[in-house]
Amino acid sequence: MLSELLQGTDTGAVLIIQDSCSYSGQHLLKSFISAALNKEEAVHVLGFDVSEEELKDGLTASTQRLHFHSAYTDPLGWTNRTAFTVHQFCVEELTHLLKQTSHPKPVTLVIDSLSWILRHVSPPAVCKTLQQLKKGGAVRAVIGLLHADMHQRGTVGSVCHLATSVITVAPGTKGDEAVAKITKRSKSGKVMQDEEIFSIKGDFSVTVVSKTSHAGHRQTEPEEHQTDPTGKPLCSSRVQVQVEFCMSLMPTMTTTRRTLMMILMFRFKAGKSAEDPRFICFFRH
Amino acid sequence: MFTELNSILNATPDSFTQGEFILVSDRQSDASFLIHHFLSFYLRARCKVCFLGLVQSFSHYSAISQRLGVSLTQAREKGQLIFLEGLKESLSILIPQETTTGSQAMDFLRDPTVGLQRLYEFVRSSVSSDGGGEEGVEEWGPPVLLVDDVSVLLSLGVSAGAVLDFSHYCRATVCSQLQGNIVMLVRCHGEEAEDDGSDEGSEWLLKGLTHQCSLTLHVQGLPTGYCRDIHGQVEVCWRRRRGDGQHTQKKLFQYKVHDKGASFFAPGTSSAVL
Repeated sequence: MLSELLQGTDTGAVLIIQDSCSYSGQHLLKSFISAALNKEEAVHVLGFDVSEEELKDGLTASTQRLHFHSAYTDPLGWTNRTAFTVHQFCVEELTHLLKQTSHPKPVTLVIDSLSWILRHVSPPAVCKTLQQLKKGGAVRAVIGLLHADMHQRGTVGSVCHLATSVITVAPGTKGDEAVAKITKRSKSGKVMQDEEIFSIKGDFSVTVVSKTSHAGHRQTEPEEHQTDPTGKPLCSSRVQVQVEFCMSLMPTMTTTRRTLMMILMFRFKAGKSAEDPRFICFFRH
Repeated sequence: MFTELNSILNATPDSFTQGEFILVSDRQSDASFLIHHFLSFYLRARCKVCFLGLVQSFSHYSAISQRLGVSLTQAREKGQLIFLEGLKESLSILIPQETTTGSQAMDFLRDPTVGLQRLYEFVRSSVSSDGGGEEGVEEWGPPVLLVDDVSVLLSLGVSAGAVLDFSHYCRATVCSQLQGNIVMLVRCHGEEAEDDGSDEGSEWLLKGLTHQCSLTLHVQGLPTGYCRDIHGQVEVCWRRRRGDGQHTQKKLFQYKVHDKGASFFAPGTSSAVL
């Protein structure tokens, strides 16, 4: 699922990367920036946490379409040298900022970080701005970094509630590996969750090492859909493949189910009377 | 300075990483010995040092630095060291007299809610001013800001958010703009508590500074209790690495403070137990 998110986000998507002191999400944020630049998208970065040099350091993709709006040097207006202050975080100012560089396509807005803004702007105002950005059409997608251990649970919950995808990163057990817990909401309202172990290389490309499950570790397996005895996929949705039973069956599945032999059943042979039942056990593999 | 610590951090006065924000922290222990190390280290490296000494007098730091082979008095006279003696400056604000005006850097004592903008302006003017080109004035290396310690600001009524704003501005000026280094000490009290980010105390401040820094040195006592020959343990964490792709690296060392230094060793390898 992490690879899918890196490949592209839907229009109107809001993706939140949640990190903590134990593992910084800054590199994963740069991976998303790099992936967007490689797809020749225009990326605008609201930079509070790190300087432009530090953000661009190591990015191998062409940074021609990367526009950095520095709120790092003077975010509060102390030195009157500011390009953008934290109090300008509203949809009107952001739209004006984005229109300064013209692009044929809607842009991807990266906010590094939402935590800096939440320390100075009330959470309801931040949520309102994010919602307006999501619906307004000025940006194609919003990607934000959130230091979850710096805010109340309610604030984190409110911001993440607006997100279409939330990636919570934590340190892994070995080397440079990390764990990503991903929650994705589709437009139809389905919620998908996954947990993957990943590593980030020097060029900020992401390698998914393996996927974990609640039952424990299992190796990466190809995306196989479970099939019924007729060979057709049981369900078209990936979510329903992972559950133990399917709530709705297609007509062919219903027919197949009727012909399936259950584990234990009574069977009446032709010509025998009903008083001569026989227990026949069938074992299905 | 402590040569073993230099080896751990892969730094010498002639060669060290510039643009670093080093966070020194302690919990139920005393990490101030690391502040003395970094003070003597950067003075030997001929850096321009701005030291905000908020908890001890100048003579205290001078006496300890003398044991480490560095004279703070000479450094101050030459213009290499700019020392803000917080205890002395605060008296002139708390007990104002006609003859003394006090430094504007400590204006937050009059009203803690105004924040630390004045203190930042003091730091900026200290690290930005250079005597380059003037006859008889020595030129110094990259600027360094040392703060001992930021958590005392919380006790003086300054909010943790204001301290984070101050550290951010210092980092932007000293580390990013001037390619200098910052060393800040933050002290935590009591056990590490799980909180939901609402209580803006020393723990929250520690988290915020950890997100900003590139290297942390966390000092705490031994989990097994008091030991005469081992005074505690230091967890060194490199948070931001460039070029080699590595993300975060952690190492744990034990230490013992001597009269004129400190020794560092891998856990269980103290000379007292081998």
